[in-house]
Amino acid sequence: MPGGPRADRRDFYEVLGVPRTATQDEIQQAYRKLARQHHPDVNKDPGAEDRFKEISEAYDVLSDPQTRRRYDAFGPDFRQVPEDVDPEAYQRSRASAGAGRARGAGGVGGFGTDLGGDLGGINIEDLLGGIFAGRGFGPIPGADQEAELELTVEEAFQGGQRSVTLEGPDGRHTLDVRIPAGVTNGQRIRLAGQGGRGSEGAPNGDLYFVVRIAPHPRYRVEGRDLYVDLPLAPWEAALGTSVAVETPRGEMKVKVPPGTSTGKRLRLRHHGLPHPRGSAGHLYAEVKIVVPAKLTDEERRLFEELATVSTFDPRRR
Amino acid sequence: MGYALVLVRSASLNLEAFARTTGTHPDLVRRLVALGVLDADRDAAGELWFARSQVAVMGRVQRLRAGFGLNYAAVGLVTDLLDRIAVLEAALREARRPGR
Repeated sequence: MPGGPRADRRDFYEVLGVPRTATQDEIQQAYRKLARQHHPDVNKDPGAEDRFKEISEAYDVLSDPQTRRRYDAFGPDFRQVPEDVDPEAYQRSRASAGAGRARGAGGVGGFGTDLGGDLGGINIEDLLGGIFAGRGFGPIPGADQEAELELTVEEAFQGGQRSVTLEGPDGRHTLDVRIPAGVTNGQRIRLAGQGGRGSEGAPNGDLYFVVRIAPHPRYRVEGRDLYVDLPLAPWEAALGTSVAVETPRGEMKVKVPPGTSTGKRLRLRHHGLPHPRGSAGHLYAEVKIVVPAKLTDEERRLFEELATVSTFDPRRR
Repeated sequence: MGYALVLVRSASLNLEAFARTTGTHPDLVRRLVALGVLDADRDAAGELWFARSQVAVMGRVQRLRAGFGLNYAAVGLVTDLLDRIAVLEAALREARRPGR
């Protein structure tokens, strides 16, 4: 909302992180450091553009000793105050006029709305432009931005809509992102025109969501392949069995062949994450033999009998 | 509002269209091509053609120039470094993937 109320505008000294007594050199130094950090081409975070704009506004005002003096005297509304007004008279008149209005919100919020018309339509956006406009550079396309999008394995598997809230150039905004089924770690989802704003009618940049698949209690993700643990009792592993394995699609029966040891991977072809333009990944069930922590008398007897009868030595080379 | 994955428009722009889209002077665009800051193809008639992606590159050049007061040669260096950082960050993300 160009020129609209910005009740949350911070103090310019606070923005640059300098005391009110800072020298011009200190102000410039603080600005240079912050600008390098938050320039929208250096910092892809969607909030950086807003921050950079704030820093630039603050510097524009505080770097010029004359506007800085006026800012010190009249506060954020200093552009509305005619040149010849005495600071102390101004403060007194404000104190009485502003009695029924909260300071803070009212002070800045009055900009462009009730005051703007009376003062020849002065508008902060016209004075400062976008970030870069008004400096003789003409229209400039907006910067691309990047944000991380954490998805669960299930979301990556199924795809679908997801609401994402971002700090953008116009404050917080919520985007509905369509997630294609089968996105993988590191993949970028592009939202055309949702990046940094272009100035003077130039096109906006794009917003990229970089997908990160969140750790899952059951699945490990490697590319499009999924890995799950498959716990087996020793006799199941030795004799073979058929067990149910959870997959993102639901339960699947897996045949465990006789003589299966820990570490063996049973592959369920194409039951991993789908591929929008190719074949899906696989799901691997990794066998893990688990023994009862406590044996019943009968179990102990049977194991002892097995130990006596068996000649199997897993350490024999 | 819903946004879907969008195909990048692939049509190229000639010098005039590129300068118009980016709000710059064709002479400046030519200079940036000569400096290797912008990528362009030259057709048989010697005319310059720009991929759509170069519009964003031009935007970045202008912002870096406006934001830091860089000259165009310095902008070239900075954009190269930023691109290298982007590649390294992507590789780092890849290496940090859980389950690796």
